[in-house]
Amino acid sequence: MNFQLTLALRYLNGRKLRALLTTLAIVFGVLVVFGMNTIIPAMMRSFQANVLAASGQVDASISLKTGDVFPVAELARVAAVPGVRASTGLLDRTVNLQPDYFDHDAAVPDSISALSLVGINPDEAHSVHSYNMVSGRFLDSADTNAAVISQSLADSIGLSLGSTLALPTAIGEQSLEIVGILPARAVPGNEEVFVTLSQAQSMFSMPEKINTIDVNFDSLDNARRSEIQSSIQTALGNEYQIGALASNSELLTNLQLGQTIFNVLGVMGLLMGGFIIFNTFRTVVAERRRDIGMLRALGASRKSIFYIILIEGLVQGIMGTALGMLAGYGFSVLVLKLMGPAMQKFLNVKIGMPEVSLAIILASIGLGVGITLLAGLIPAMSASRVTPLEALRPAVGKLNFRRLAGLGFWTGAAMIALAVATLVTRNAGLIGLGGMLFIIGLILVAPTLVSPIAALFGGLASLIFARQGTTHLAQGNLSRQPTRAAVTASATLIGLAILVTAASIITSASVGFERVLRKSLGSDYIFVPPSVALWGTNVGSSPDFARELRELNDVAVASTLRFAPAQVNDLPISLMGIDPDSYVQVSGLTFAEGDEATAYAALKTPRTMIISPVLATSTGAKVGDEVNVLTPNGVTRYRVVAIGGDYLNAKIATGYISHADITADFDRNEDVLIQLNLTPTADRASAESAIETVVGRYPQYRLISGQGYIDENMELFDVAFAAMYAVLIFLAVPSLIAMLNTLAIGVIERTREIGMLRAVGATRKQVRTMIVAEAIILAAIGTAFGLLAGLYLGYTTVETLHLAGYPMEYIFPASGVVVTIAAGLIFGVLAAIIPARQAARLDVVQALHYE
Amino acid sequence: MSVITTENLTKIYNSGTTAVTALDHVSFQVQPEEFVAVMGPSGCGKSTLLHLIGGLDHPSNGRVMINDESLADLDDDSLTKLRRRQIGFVFQFFNLIPVLSAVENAALPLMLDGMKQIEARDRAIEWLSRFDLADRLQNRPDQLSGGQQQRVAIARALVAEPALILADEPTGNLDTRASDEIAGLLRQVAKDWGRTVVMVTHDPRIAAYADRILFLKDGRIVDDTLLEAKNGSSYEAVTAKLKEIGD
Repeated sequence: MNFQLTLALRYLNGRKLRALLTTLAIVFGVLVVFGMNTIIPAMMRSFQANVLAASGQVDASISLKTGDVFPVAELARVAAVPGVRASTGLLDRTVNLQPDYFDHDAAVPDSISALSLVGINPDEAHSVHSYNMVSGRFLDSADTNAAVISQSLADSIGLSLGSTLALPTAIGEQSLEIVGILPARAVPGNEEVFVTLSQAQSMFSMPEKINTIDVNFDSLDNARRSEIQSSIQTALGNEYQIGALASNSELLTNLQLGQTIFNVLGVMGLLMGGFIIFNTFRTVVAERRRDIGMLRALGASRKSIFYIILIEGLVQGIMGTALGMLAGYGFSVLVLKLMGPAMQKFLNVKIGMPEVSLAIILASIGLGVGITLLAGLIPAMSASRVTPLEALRPAVGKLNFRRLAGLGFWTGAAMIALAVATLVTRNAGLIGLGGMLFIIGLILVAPTLVSPIAALFGGLASLIFARQGTTHLAQGNLSRQPTRAAVTASATLIGLAILVTAASIITSASVGFERVLRKSLGSDYIFVPPSVALWGTNVGSSPDFARELRELNDVAVASTLRFAPAQVNDLPISLMGIDPDSYVQVSGLTFAEGDEATAYAALKTPRTMIISPVLATSTGAKVGDEVNVLTPNGVTRYRVVAIGGDYLNAKIATGYISHADITADFDRNEDVLIQLNLTPTADRASAESAIETVVGRYPQYRLISGQGYIDENMELFDVAFAAMYAVLIFLAVPSLIAMLNTLAIGVIERTREIGMLRAVGATRKQVRTMIVAEAIILAAIGTAFGLLAGLYLGYTTVETLHLAGYPMEYIFPASGVVVTIAAGLIFGVLAAIIPARQAARLDVVQALHYE
Repeated sequence: MSVITTENLTKIYNSGTTAVTALDHVSFQVQPEEFVAVMGPSGCGKSTLLHLIGGLDHPSNGRVMINDESLADLDDDSLTKLRRRQIGFVFQFFNLIPVLSAVENAALPLMLDGMKQIEARDRAIEWLSRFDLADRLQNRPDQLSGGQQQRVAIARALVAEPALILADEPTGNLDTRASDEIAGLLRQVAKDWGRTVVMVTHDPRIAAYADRILFLKDGRIVDDTLLEAKNGSSYEAVTAKLKEIGD
C-alpha cells in the first residue's frame, strides 16, 4: 500500500471519534442530495407515466397552448389534413370535488378527490381509441345522462351497472346513469367518467366546444408521421400544440420546486460539512506540526506532506460519500414506502423504487468527495509549508491571538458596506447580490470579532456559572483559536440565518397578505371551489346560479369571478373576469398603480385589463401599454389600465378583465367563485338557510362566511411556520456536528491542560462546566451572527419580493428571533454533552503524559 | 576529504529592532567516522549550528559543505533529498509518529524515498535488532520507554545508511541510565558502523563519550579539544575545560 495512504489511515484510525464526526458531516449532506434526487425522479416518473398513458393510444393529441377550449369546428380542419386517418374531438376536464363529496363525512377524506369528465363522440371515438366493456354497453350518441366508468372507480365509490352517479356541473348537480363498465384502470391518473360530447358540453355550459383533438395517422413511417404533424400545425396555427395534455403540470412544477429546495438544503449541508472538514484539518495540521516537521527533516518533500493531508481528506470524503449514498437510498426507499399508500389513494399513482440515475451517482460523488478535497486543500498547503525546524522546537501550546484587524476583516467589512449600499439602489438583482456579499462579509469579519464577542458572552456566562470559576477559561480557550471558533460559528450562522430569513419572509407575508385578504375577501359570504388559484381544474357554474342567488330576499349583491387561461407575450397567465360594478361592493383589488374609481371605470371600456404586480414585473408592462393576449380566437390587444391584485391570485401572473370581454374573447361565462353581501337589514339566519338551499344543487361550492375564510387562510401561514421549523431540523444536524467537532477537538488538543487543571484541583464538574460554557459562548457567537445575517437577508428578500410586486411589507419576525435564539443555545448545550463527558472523565496521570 | 566543512558560518536572528548573532564566523571541519560533541552554555548557538549543518535553516553568511557539496547551491527539493540520503537526525523529543509502530517509524526514511515496503521493513528490523528492540517491533511509541523510543529514533536515523548523523540533545529527555545507553550507542554508530556523528549536548558526562568536543560561547568556537577515547575517564577533563571557559 502507498505510504501516504498508510499514514492517512493510521491517523484516522488513531482518532476514531473525530474521524467519525467529520465524516458524518459529509454523510449527512450526501444523504440529503442523493436521497432527494432519487425520490423526486421516482415520483416524476410515475406522474409522467400517467400523462403518457392518457395519450398512449393515439398518434397525436392536439390542444390549445393555453389549455383553453376551442370550437368543435376546428376538428374539420384537422380531418382535412392529408395523412390523418381518423380524428375525434373531446371535452376533457378535471372535476375537483369537495373533500367530503361522496361520503358527506368531513372526518374521513374521500378516496376520490377529483375525476376526469370526458365528453366523447361515440361514433368517432372507436376509430381512435378502443374500449373493451366488462359489462353493460358503450355510449350511444343518442344517450342523455348516461356514463361509462371503470371497474375500479365503481368499486371505490360503490357503484354498479344501472346505479346513478351525481356530479357537480355548471348547471347544477347532475345525475348520470351508469350504462357500462370498463376494465379497472391500470394506469395512474384521475379516474375517468365518459359521457357523450354533447352531455359534457351542457354540463360545463360550453356548447360546441372541445379542448382536445385525438388523431391517428395513416402511416407508421417516422418521417411521414412528422410530416403529417407539421401539416396539422400549419393548418391550425401557432396557438395550438401537438402532444400529450400536460394535465398534472402544476403538480410537476411543485415537485420540481421541492427538488430544488431540497437540493439547496443538501448543498448547504455539504457546505457546512466543508466548513467542518476545513476546521478539522486545520487543527490536524496544527496538532501535527512536530510530526510534519520531523517528516520534513527526515527527507519528506513538500509534495508528499501535501498528499498525506489531502489523502486523509480523500479517504474521509470517499467513506462519507459512500455511506451517505447508502443512507440516502435507504431514506429514499423509506419515504416512498411511507408515501405510497397516500399517493395511491389521492392521486391514483403507483410509486416504484427510488430512481437512481448515473448522473445523480456522479453528482453525489463529485459533491461529496469534491467538497472534502476542496476543504482539505488549504490545510494541506499550509502543512506542506511547515519547516523541518518545527520538529526541533519544544512542544509548548501555541497561542494564536489575532492582530486586531487583518486583510480578511477589512475585505469582509468592505463587502458588508457594499451590501448595505445595494439597498439604496432599489434594484432587485443588486439587492440579492448584496445578500450574498453580506453573508461572506460576515464570515470574513467573524475571526476578528470572536475575541470581543467571546468576552461579552463570557461575562454573561460567568454570571450564570458564577461559582464554578471556569468560564474565564472557556472564554480564553475560544479566544486563542479565533479562526476555528469563527469557522465553527459560521456553520451555525448559515443554518440560523436561513431560519431567520424564512421567519422574516413568512411574518412579513402573513401580515401583508392578511391586509390584502381582508380587502379581497371582505364579503359576507364566499362560494369557494375545491381548488383555489388552480382555477382550470374546477367546474364552475353557469350565470343562472348567481342569478338565483341575487333573486333571494336579503341578498344585496352577488359578484362573480370567471376564469380563462391565456398567454400574455408568450407568458401563461390566469385571466379573471370581474364585473366592474358589483365587484367593488364585495371585494377589492389592492392597487399598486391607479386607484379604484378610475380603474374599474376604465375596465368598462372593451379590451382593457388590470394586471397583477407579478405580471407587470414579468412582462415589464406599464399602465397605458398595450399587451398581446392569446385567446382561442387568436391574438388580441388589451390596454393596461391599472396594476393591482387580489389575495387568491397573489402568487400568479394574473390579468383582470370585464365579464363582457371574457365572454366575447374567450367564450367563458362560467363562474368559478362567488362573493355575496346581504342587505344591512337582513336576518342572517333565514338568509343563510335560503342560500344553503340554492347552493345544495351546486355541490362544487363550499359556502363559508368571509371572516371564516380569512381565518382558514391565515391558518395556512401557521402551517408555513410549522414547515419552517421542520426545516430547522435539517439545518440543525450539520451545525450540531460542527460544534461537537470543534469542542471535541478542543478537548483532545488540551488533554494535557485539562490533566493539569485536574491535578491542581479542578473537579470533574468544573471541567465539565468549562466545556459547556465554551459551547454556549460558541453557540452564542454563531447565533448572534446568524441573527444578524438572517435579519439582513430577510429584509432584503422581503424588499426584493415587494419590488417584484408581492403584497409584502417588512415586519420584524419577533417569534422567529426568539425561536432562533432558543435553538442556537440548545444546539450549544447538546453539542457539549459528549465532549464535556470526555473531558471530565480524563485520567489525570495519563492526561499529563499525553503527547 | 572532510564530511563537514563550515566556512565563516554566521547566523543573525532579527527580532523586531534587535538583531541577535547566534553564530559568528564559525569555521571547522569534521572527518569521516569522527564522533564530535558540541557543548556550551544555553543560547551559545549549538542548536543553530546543528540546524545549519543539517540544511534545516539557512545561514546569514558563510557556508556549509557536506561531502564537499555546498548546501547554499541546493534548492528545497535537492536539500530534502540530501537529508533523506546523507543525513540522519536524532531529536531530543524522539519525534516518533504516534500512530505508527516501531518498525514503521524506523522504516520511514526508506518509505519516503520510495522503497518497497517489505524491503524497507526488513532493513528497519535489522537495525532495530542491533539495538535490542527485536521484541518490540510492533509496539507503538506510547508503549515504549524513553530509552527505547530514542533507540527507535536512532535506528530511523541510520536506516537509510547516511554518512552523517546529527543528534540534538539526544539524551535531554532521558534518565541517567538511558542516557549512558544512548551515548554508548552513538559512539558505537561512529566506531563500529563507520558513521560521522555530531551531537549537541550540555551534559559533560555524555560529551565525554565523543572523540572531540567543540566548545561554543556567544556564537564562536572557544575551544576544540580531542579527547583520549576512554569512556568515563574523560569526564574530569571535560568539566575542567568547561570551568576554564567559564560556564
